[in-house]
Amino acid sequence: MILMETGNGMGHEPMHKIIKLKRYEKPPEGYYEDFLREFHRRQRAEMLAPSLSAMIMERLSGLIPELRVPAMAFACVAAVAMIVSVAIIRDTPRQTIPHAYSVSYAQPRPYSQAPVTIQNMQPVSLRVAADPQNQPQAAPILFPPSYLLQAPLATHESPLSF
Amino acid sequence: MSSDPAIPSSNDKELVARTQGGDPGAFDELILKYTPRLYGLVYHMTSNHEDTNDLLQDIFSKAYRSIVNFRGNSSFYTWMHSIAVNMTINFLKKRNRRQHPSLNDPDSNIESDPDFIAATSNGDPTKEVSIHELQKKLNASMQKLSHDHRIVVTMFDIQGIPHAEIAKILKISEGTVRSRLFYAHRQLQNSLHEFKRN
Repeated sequence: MILMETGNGMGHEPMHKIIKLKRYEKPPEGYYEDFLREFHRRQRAEMLAPSLSAMIMERLSGLIPELRVPAMAFACVAAVAMIVSVAIIRDTPRQTIPHAYSVSYAQPRPYSQAPVTIQNMQPVSLRVAADPQNQPQAAPILFPPSYLLQAPLATHESPLSF
Repeated sequence: MSSDPAIPSSNDKELVARTQGGDPGAFDELILKYTPRLYGLVYHMTSNHEDTNDLLQDIFSKAYRSIVNFRGNSSFYTWMHSIAVNMTINFLKKRNRRQHPSLNDPDSNIESDPDFIAATSNGDPTKEVSIHELQKKLNASMQKLSHDHRIVVTMFDIQGIPHAEIAKILKISEGTVRSRLFYAHRQLQNSLHEFKRN
């Protein structure tokens, strides 16, 4: 097999010999002894260096006493939170009547023209005032009629069962 | 169980056991024993002395932290080389491609090496090239190889590790080792054609 022969270096022997010359590239004299000393120094530094979580905890523990928040501040915050929450709970949803606005259907104008200002624009309401003399025959229909289908209560018992 | 005669592993087990038992001096012995080999492995992969130094420190630091989990399923030699290879390849993936090489000076013995004489003069003294020129060219050619190809060239051609041991370290088949060597040599031939002997 070609690959087997060349992989063994038989077919690429000249190349193998040239590349092998790289083994002469060596670190400076005394490097290996220094390497061990450097290893010990780094090990000691690693052991002495605090971990990240320990550093964060230390910072936090140093920061909290410096804040000096008055004791009553927590009570005030709690009271305000309670008042707000009560107000939100008691604020029942109200039935809102849709407002009517004066609408003008003007031709769309290009953006380059100046906007038109409408003077004395008043809001218009469709709600009918409760005046007994002017009570119409039929109540004005503000909304389209709706139908509610009241289905009988569902029961799993037979009406004839005793 | 190293098949490399340069690294007898007979007392590795003892040194590992002593390290696991809490004797840091035993690990120092392992460092002194394996640093030259692993230095070569990392250096020829990175072509940078400073990177090699830092990486080698990290490799031994990791080995020291992990040695309690070493069960001896493979030899310490294979285990140590696997750590070195994995960390070196991870480092190279992160490193900037345009990192400048920081090469060590070749040993003066290279000048008397017959392979060097043959490669540089090719029998013709007028065509001699300097050691540094050859070194520069070799490193440039090596850096052109992919990590997978460079590691097998480093281990086989430069460090003389047998195919079987390379296969164990890289956790690949011997056939894959041979195949990678074949393609790596072919690529190197294109880069180093002027040094190729006929």
